[in-house]
Amino acid sequence: MKAWLKSLVYSDDIVGALTIFLIILVVFFSLMTPHFFSMNNFYSIIGNIPAMAILCLGLTYVVLVGDLDLSLGSILGITAILAVFFFKVMGFPLWLNLLSCVFIGGLFGALNGVIVTKIGINSIITTLGTMALIRGLTYWIAMDVDAMQVGRITDPAFLNFGRYYFPEDSRLIPITLVYICILYVASYIFLNHTSFGRKIYAVGSNEATARLAGINVKRVKLVCYILAGMLSAFGGLVLVAQLGLGEAYTGQNMILEVVTAVVLGGVLLTGGKGRLTGVIIAVLILGVIRNGMVHLEQVTDISFYWRDVAKGVILLLAIGLYSVRKSFNAKRLRTRQ
Amino acid sequence: MKAIGFKLNTTASLFIFLACLIVLFSFTSEHFLSYYNITSLLTNISYSGIAAIVLTLIIISRGLDISIGGVIGLTTVVIATLYSQNDPLPTWLILLIGLGVGAIVGMINGWCITALDMDPIITTLGAMAITRGLAYVISDSQSILMFEDTTDYISNGAIFFIPIPIIIFLITALVFSILLHKSKFGRAVYAIGANEISAEFSGISIKSKKMILYILSGIAASLSGIILIGQTSVGMPQHGLGTELEVITAVLLGGTALSGGKGTIYGTVAGVLILGVLFNGLTISGVRYVHLQIFQGILLLVAVATYEIKTRNEVAR
Repeated sequence: MKAWLKSLVYSDDIVGALTIFLIILVVFFSLMTPHFFSMNNFYSIIGNIPAMAILCLGLTYVVLVGDLDLSLGSILGITAILAVFFFKVMGFPLWLNLLSCVFIGGLFGALNGVIVTKIGINSIITTLGTMALIRGLTYWIAMDVDAMQVGRITDPAFLNFGRYYFPEDSRLIPITLVYICILYVASYIFLNHTSFGRKIYAVGSNEATARLAGINVKRVKLVCYILAGMLSAFGGLVLVAQLGLGEAYTGQNMILEVVTAVVLGGVLLTGGKGRLTGVIIAVLILGVIRNGMVHLEQVTDISFYWRDVAKGVILLLAIGLYSVRKSFNAKRLRTRQ
Repeated sequence: MKAIGFKLNTTASLFIFLACLIVLFSFTSEHFLSYYNITSLLTNISYSGIAAIVLTLIIISRGLDISIGGVIGLTTVVIATLYSQNDPLPTWLILLIGLGVGAIVGMINGWCITALDMDPIITTLGAMAITRGLAYVISDSQSILMFEDTTDYISNGAIFFIPIPIIIFLITALVFSILLHKSKFGRAVYAIGANEISAEFSGISIKSKKMILYILSGIAASLSGIILIGQTSVGMPQHGLGTELEVITAVLLGGTALSGGKGTIYGTVAGVLILGVLFNGLTISGVRYVHLQIFQGILLLVAVATYEIKTRNEVAR
């Protein structure tokens, strides 16, 4: 029993531990609240996570090369406004709207990447700057959009982009779930079974060695930033389609939750290590907490706002556990020698 | 000797830049140089300036504290909640508890960073979520009014026409410049930032130094919160939202390097003043808030890029 617990805490593979944590949470909320355990509620949990899941995927790329991108929430926000702007003011058809939004997301990602790789500024400061910059641009564009009273989207083709179900009449699989699956599976194959994907891991685990091995480190990093930007833009588009609404403050406080999920999912902040299975389970854990706290507030007197506290505590626990594990492993290595 | 020359140069050029801004804005707006505008400008910057001064020490020691904004929000909520009870505690005790809030958060940050060897950015990011979340929980997302003479005096009072927040800011700057530039503790902070391992081998107790820094940072943030609650007469969880960005921008603008071991209090004071004058001047000249936000992001990037390129040139030479 004790050895089993030890292997859970100290083993490098935390997917098992995360799955158990997720199950415990689901059981806890199911026992405590009457309406948590129902098909409808599970659909609503799934319906709430697509933007998060896609953003987390984007951040994972950047964290894997050893950087951090705080501007992803802002990129999601500007996409939300631009989607409305292109649609209502410019009259773009759906495909052109999607394409240009993802393209612009990629441009912002490239901006981050160029500043980090060419000028050599620390990624956190760079993206802290672009976070403010892009959010400012968003408010600027939104002033025009608001003035024209066009914040809402009612076009069914656009809404179906985020609200469609397969098959259409029995409403079994939401289209957003399909997006998540496709993106995660594609990324999994890209990261693990292509040479470029392996280069991403190589750059993250040791930049100097990677350079000596002939990898163009700057280009690999740049590609990761661009991918992160494009994925954030796609997440923004899905969110707008789901809500039927684009607002300037969309995704304002999202990045904290995204960082929490990625770290909780076992992606090392120093880069080079991390699995997508861990990330998606971490996204589910945060989604369940967010949903479960609402149910819990209805039954008990526990304020809904405890979820923010819980989020911070989980982030600290995840990092703390990792640190403890690291020093334990180092000690074990030393005693073996 | 050469190092001192460079230091003076950087700070001097910052103050020249500041003087240019002041001249520029006195032309674009006739109200810029009025007594009222100058005191309100200085009062506004002193609130984030206090936090910036302590953050300078943390960044020099190669750490970072992002929880400043959250601590400000939590402090205002705690103070206002305590004051709005039926039978409130004496004000001095409430203010002391307010400062204690920052000290406790700083202590937790410091403990995680030193004892558990956790990354300072992620640790304080977590602390930011926790403090902000607790502020929402305690206040139930409401604004709590607080009209109280002492806090009002701290924020709006004046001695010899100098508003008290400015005096607090100047005293903080003075105390910390002595601490950083003239004391053993200050030398240790530079040593830790320059090379942590060699600092440890030369007998500096790194953990206790770092602990003290994070506790001081928490207390400084709480002090900012106390000034803010006096200025606005309200405690609310949204107080201090985005302050961390402003504070970090000011510190980096002042020439403190994120890679540690380099920076001065004078530089940070110059950075705080430049940010304050810039935003006040632009606002008074009729620039809209959204454009200011864009400007802030660009300014942060340009400042850091300038220093980065400058350092690289020096290394190349």
